[in-house]
Amino acid sequence: MKIKFNNLIILLVIAITLTTACKKDFKELNTDPNKSTAALPEALLTPALWDVVTKNNNRALRLTNELMQDHVSVSDGDEIHRYVVRPAESDYMWNNWYLQLTNFRDMYTRSKELNRTTHMGMALICDVFVSSLLTDTFGDVPYSEAAMGKDKIYQPKFDTQQNIYTDLFRKLEEANTLLATGTALTPEQLSYDPLYGRTVGATSATTIANWRKFGNTLYLRLLLRASARQESNAIAKIAEIVNTNSANYPVFTSNAESAVIRYSTTPPYTSAFFNYRPFDFSGDNGLTEFFINTLNNWNDPRRPLWATQASGTYTGIPSGYVRGQVPERQSAYNNSLINEPLLGNIINYPELQFMLAEAAVKGYISGDPKTYYDNGVVNAITFWGAAVPADYFSNTVLAWNAADNIDFKMEKIHLQKYYTLFFTDFQQWFEYRRTGHPNLPKGAGLQNDGKMPVRLKYPVFVQSANGANYSAAIAAFGPDDLNTKMWWNK
Amino acid sequence: MNFTNNMSGRFARVMKLTFLFLLVLTLQVNAVARAQQINLHETNVSMETVLNKIKAQSGYKFLFNNQMIADAGPVTVNVNGVTLAQALNACFKNQPLTYELINNTVVLKRKIIVQKTITGRVTDAAGQALPGASVYAEKDKKRVVTTDQNGAFTLQAAAGDQLIVRMIGFQQYSVLITEQSNYQVILKESSEELNEVIVTALGIKREERALGYSVSTLKTEDLTNAVSNNWTNALTGKVAGLNLIKSGGGPAGSNKIILRGENALGGNSEALIVIDGMITSSSSGRSTGTGSNAYLSADSPADFGNSLADINPDDIESVSVLKGPAATALYGSRGGNGAVIITTKSGKLNRGLGISINSNTSIETISRWPDYQYEYGQGDAGQDLYYSYLATADGASTRSTSSAWGPKFDGQSYYQYDPVTRTTSAERLPWVPYPDNHKDFFQTGMTFLNSVALDGGNDKTTARLSVTNLTNEWIIPNTGFTRNTVALSLTHKVNDKLQIASKVNYTNKYSDNLPSTGYNNQSIMYFIRGLTPNMNMDWFKDYWLPGQEGIAQNRPFSSLLDNPYLIANEMLNKSNRNNVVGNVSATYNFLKNLSLMVRTSMDLSYDARSQQRPFNTNKYVNGMYRTTNIFSQEINSDFLLRYNDEFLEKFDFSITAGGSQMQNRYQRDETRADQLLYPDVFTFANSKNALIALPYKSRLALNSLYTLGSLSYDRFLYMDVSMRNDWSSSLASPVSTDNASFFYPSVSFSAILSEKLKLPDYISYLKLRASAASVGGGTVPYTTAYAYNSTQFPGSLANPTVIPNEDLKPLRTNSVELGMEMKMFNNRLSFDVAVYNNSTFNQIFTSPIDRSTGYNSMVVNAGEVVNRGLEIAVNGTPIKTKSGLNMNFYATFSANKNKVVSLTDSASSLILASGPRGTIEARVGGGMGDIYGLGYLRSPDGKIVYSGGYPVLDQTTKYLGNSTARFKTSMGTNITYKHFNLNLLFDAQFGAKAYSLTNAVLSEEGKLKTTLPGRYNGIIGDGVVLNADGSYSPNTVVAPNIAAYYKAHFVRDNVESNVFSTDFIKFREARLDYSFGPKLVKRLGLQRATIGAYGRDLFMFTKWPAFDPEFGTLGAEGEISAGFESAQFPSTRTFGLNITIGI
Repeated sequence: MKIKFNNLIILLVIAITLTTACKKDFKELNTDPNKSTAALPEALLTPALWDVVTKNNNRALRLTNELMQDHVSVSDGDEIHRYVVRPAESDYMWNNWYLQLTNFRDMYTRSKELNRTTHMGMALICDVFVSSLLTDTFGDVPYSEAAMGKDKIYQPKFDTQQNIYTDLFRKLEEANTLLATGTALTPEQLSYDPLYGRTVGATSATTIANWRKFGNTLYLRLLLRASARQESNAIAKIAEIVNTNSANYPVFTSNAESAVIRYSTTPPYTSAFFNYRPFDFSGDNGLTEFFINTLNNWNDPRRPLWATQASGTYTGIPSGYVRGQVPERQSAYNNSLINEPLLGNIINYPELQFMLAEAAVKGYISGDPKTYYDNGVVNAITFWGAAVPADYFSNTVLAWNAADNIDFKMEKIHLQKYYTLFFTDFQQWFEYRRTGHPNLPKGAGLQNDGKMPVRLKYPVFVQSANGANYSAAIAAFGPDDLNTKMWWNK
Repeated sequence: MNFTNNMSGRFARVMKLTFLFLLVLTLQVNAVARAQQINLHETNVSMETVLNKIKAQSGYKFLFNNQMIADAGPVTVNVNGVTLAQALNACFKNQPLTYELINNTVVLKRKIIVQKTITGRVTDAAGQALPGASVYAEKDKKRVVTTDQNGAFTLQAAAGDQLIVRMIGFQQYSVLITEQSNYQVILKESSEELNEVIVTALGIKREERALGYSVSTLKTEDLTNAVSNNWTNALTGKVAGLNLIKSGGGPAGSNKIILRGENALGGNSEALIVIDGMITSSSSGRSTGTGSNAYLSADSPADFGNSLADINPDDIESVSVLKGPAATALYGSRGGNGAVIITTKSGKLNRGLGISINSNTSIETISRWPDYQYEYGQGDAGQDLYYSYLATADGASTRSTSSAWGPKFDGQSYYQYDPVTRTTSAERLPWVPYPDNHKDFFQTGMTFLNSVALDGGNDKTTARLSVTNLTNEWIIPNTGFTRNTVALSLTHKVNDKLQIASKVNYTNKYSDNLPSTGYNNQSIMYFIRGLTPNMNMDWFKDYWLPGQEGIAQNRPFSSLLDNPYLIANEMLNKSNRNNVVGNVSATYNFLKNLSLMVRTSMDLSYDARSQQRPFNTNKYVNGMYRTTNIFSQEINSDFLLRYNDEFLEKFDFSITAGGSQMQNRYQRDETRADQLLYPDVFTFANSKNALIALPYKSRLALNSLYTLGSLSYDRFLYMDVSMRNDWSSSLASPVSTDNASFFYPSVSFSAILSEKLKLPDYISYLKLRASAASVGGGTVPYTTAYAYNSTQFPGSLANPTVIPNEDLKPLRTNSVELGMEMKMFNNRLSFDVAVYNNSTFNQIFTSPIDRSTGYNSMVVNAGEVVNRGLEIAVNGTPIKTKSGLNMNFYATFSANKNKVVSLTDSASSLILASGPRGTIEARVGGGMGDIYGLGYLRSPDGKIVYSGGYPVLDQTTKYLGNSTARFKTSMGTNITYKHFNLNLLFDAQFGAKAYSLTNAVLSEEGKLKTTLPGRYNGIIGDGVVLNADGSYSPNTVVAPNIAAYYKAHFVRDNVESNVFSTDFIKFREARLDYSFGPKLVKRLGLQRATIGAYGRDLFMFTKWPAFDPEFGTLGAEGEISAGFESAQFPSTRTFGLNITIGI
């Protein structure tokens, strides 16, 4: 059979036409109508920050509050209070923090494209907040190459904690500078700010100023954390911020300026525990003797806000109890905490006062520690909407005594700070690891040689998904277990 | 003399010589007695024998040639004292011979073949006309007529030839054509013959012998023997290599059909479902979940069913299961996992009115329970000394626990719940168990399935209309559904060349309440496991507190458990689905052997679902109301051009070319009011907060061109070659369509060895087949471009958590299949054996990556999964007697080995599903259903390590078994005797394991008999303890607390101790039919009447601790997974009665 050349051409043309026709409209067809190809920087802020803070709350209940003896599980198999932290516990925070880091870094990029210095500053502060949680929880972590999967970095290298801290400080400096002359926020942009812009009476100026204070207060928190490391130069920087150059480093001046995601009961602006049944929240969680007895000693007005009574009294149970000797739950969390707006605390004014009190005690800054301490104590109570009882400071167990030795003073400050950091991500635990305060009792059932874990292990999955960098990291950082100290508390 | 006039050349010469020779013989014979009487008594002897006898008796000479005699058939003749002429006439009756008497010589001659017109009518055994049967004369195969609507035919044929009548589903009939001109043909039904012509991909009907791949075919009776709410249940045990994964999610229970093992690392491995050419799996067939998992998720999934289940099995003509890619290559990318092709019934002409009525009534009862203990009552660990409802004189309250570690039922009395006062009893009451409390909640399920079908037609038009109603009340009170189906089929021959046809199937499925599944508040089984032996179900029946209806529920014991009657009556999951599946087609025959079919079909479904929850429930303190409207539409338009011819002498070939265009649209709009203002008002106006809207839509298009060439040689060797090119929109990105097009071929061979080889007599049919295919595939829409996700926060967005893949390429499945089919002992025994190797690679899935990349996962083209397997089907007829006793049996066996060959470069494990604890992972070197989880810490020699009297849980995950059966087998029989017909089917699976949450929680709470030993006299666990020096010695420590001991063993974290074998043997189906005799039936004015009793899932033999080892768990997006049982519903057995009447 002969095929004429002309026929061949016709066939070819038909074939080409068909091939093209069969893909017609495919580009449009496979463009996702449920998504958006563009995002304004402010649109990325609320969901990301909400996610970080609510998930922090979730883990505060599960990990921090067990390790730090706020409560203890009366389910015998839950052993976190015995310092048994299973490898799987690491995944939740590692997985979620990095996801939101993507949004904060993307927000910075989008803001920069639009020359929005205010949003750049806000994005940097959030980046530092999340990055610091990551490194303070795990140690050396992917940082400079993190959240770059879109740019095809699928196996980011780990950075040392020291380098991470150096860069966090750089970012906070940048944020402070950017926010000093921050681009004005439109009313609409204000409504996209879950921290300050949405509050009644907020203006562009107050919002930008409050963010700047938030950044610098966070700066102080991280400087103090690194202050034991000379190479961090943190002590000098603290002095600069608080004393010598305070005008250029505004920090919180009142409770109202605290960085708190205030939860409501209107979805989606709800707390981490909005969908919890009361049982899920407090059913198996008994408040500890340590937690309750201190409040009892202080006759603290926050006690009824946080705790329920058991048979007419506030009674705690021992933490670290021996397996099989489960104490009966007594006082538990007040279930009103489930929707408590203040649980969305990121960093607040009383915490700043306790940081300053410690810095003053240690001589990093000038000023009377008592002033900072007393101010911290008062504001920690009023922060919770409670009134400070008239005789509160007449209680010698909490009253400031200039004659106390430094360890005693640190204990006083940190015992107060412990309650100020109630439900605030991992801060109670971080501070305990840094200072050894407050002085937690040790139960007979403790595992891990009775040693408080000083970090979480890297998620097991990292070993297979980012194996080479993982190996390099532990070679430099130390063994991947609960007891490897990190740079700032080595 | 012209008897050689038909002979040519050489033959003629031989004939002439023969003639001379015979002539010489003749001359030597004397004339003996012309008028002699001739006697013949012969049965089935050769013509030659008869003629020799006549010659001997008559003395006449015979003149003939050997060929003539050889062509004659056997002769049966009985004559006494007749003349020669009479004797010869008797002998030559019905023979192609005639004679001439010339002197003393009989000269034989061939009858001149005279075509004459014969007519006849073809019916089945019951006298029903059979239109469409093929009728032809054996020696004139080119002239084939088909019977008309009355079963009548007219054929030109020669007497002496064999009249052959063939029809699918009936045994071939043949009869000698005599002078008689009218033939009444009664065809006998034949199950073996049904396989001869089967529906293959794209609805192309093929001879079974021509296929180079394995196909299993089922017909209506196979599906209606023991009907259940989801007809696909009837596929179990009848198709080798088919695995049904059932959601077990209540009355509308969905099933997932897996053929030849799971292979997809991403997406699903489900078979393609095709109804009358309409692909439904990705459209209305897809199930959609509630976004929540089965285990303590935000909400609970409910099984709303899928449209596949909604077909009335009585409307199904046949089901072809195409298992391998070679069989489904023409379905292309969507057929890579095999296909189930359903052909619904069309109209046939019936004698009588053409009405058939089918009525089923069935009841469903619970068939199996966990082994509950009723020796100890409510009480937490250590609360075994007394019981107290609220604080009483006896001590603190022990009423709120769901555990049964409490005091023994020993004739004593305690202060207990008083159902009248709804608080502590005034007096101490006897401490007694209520052993039926679990059972008391459930009721007997009832299903009524009634259908009427009208069918008829004439030689131009046929039509069938059926209306079906199904009403179900399930075993949980206030659950069930109603289904109405109307099916219409029309065909019309416009003229000799053009035929148009249409099938439309409309279904409305409506439910006021489908039960929530899983382990969670809102699910019944969560409550049922919470019952302790001292609770009486009656105490829960008033589910609101008096005077607080709609506001406060009656929870006498734990406030964590919602009242089950409240769940059943107030926590409603409603659904109202309208579904139309239909097609319109036209076939034009340009020539006898060239035809074009064009068809367009649509699957359109609109499902309006709503969920409501009252106030004061654990999950929704302020109530909840949600609606979800799901619109799905798939339109397929295709054409098929067929040409067949033969060339040379023995070669037949056909070429089919076609193309199709598929467009799929899916839209789901969910609106939520998760808090309400006023109780009992379930409207959006009553929402406390702004409504949450969760819209989703997607579109997918697939265009295809394909061709199939078939070549056969002498009905002995067959070869098929197919090629297909697909263009899938899912592989296009917003910037490129380069990867959207992909091509793949398949080839298959079949050889009917029994046609050519000399085989032992007992082998009547032997076929070998081989096929190889490659199938490409696309994926779900929208995985190729980066875009921001919407969030619940107004005006806010988030980066995606999955990195898209702009260069996505099609996945591939390569498969090779070999098979053999053998029929022996006159088709009394047949075997079908298939072995296959399927490899699916370049898979498209979202692979988890280290989250420090800022993303959860990325879409990749990677990984390879191989499935190897063996399938055997056996059919036999061991008993077949003239008295009417027939026994058939069939058996299937299938084994599949699944292996994950590779994943991505960086991943060695991919989590496919997560259970309450533990995971199902694909690990390189492992299988797809591998279960991993925590287990006991064990000493080097495998003993459980104890510490302080309690077993120690190892903190590293380990492999604990595979959730997919290693092999499945079934055996069934069909016995008929006169009017009775008995069907029995057993099936079994072996080699799989699964995790039982029911076992874990019931053990943790001391409710199983297995938790009795050691209560309260102590127990020493069988194992070892680790000594300070690192050695192990036997455990001698008495467990300090018996509750802690069993909790340590069966805590749900201990996946190992809660993993059990899911091996089972089930008595799956039984049915006894009685067909009324024709006389009685006629007297009643009916065509036929049958009454049957049936049972389904009657007994099971298994060690599974909960209800049914054959469970599935419904996931967030409607997926059904095996491996982790999460508070399954009770397993049920069904008994039913069926009446079928034809008018």
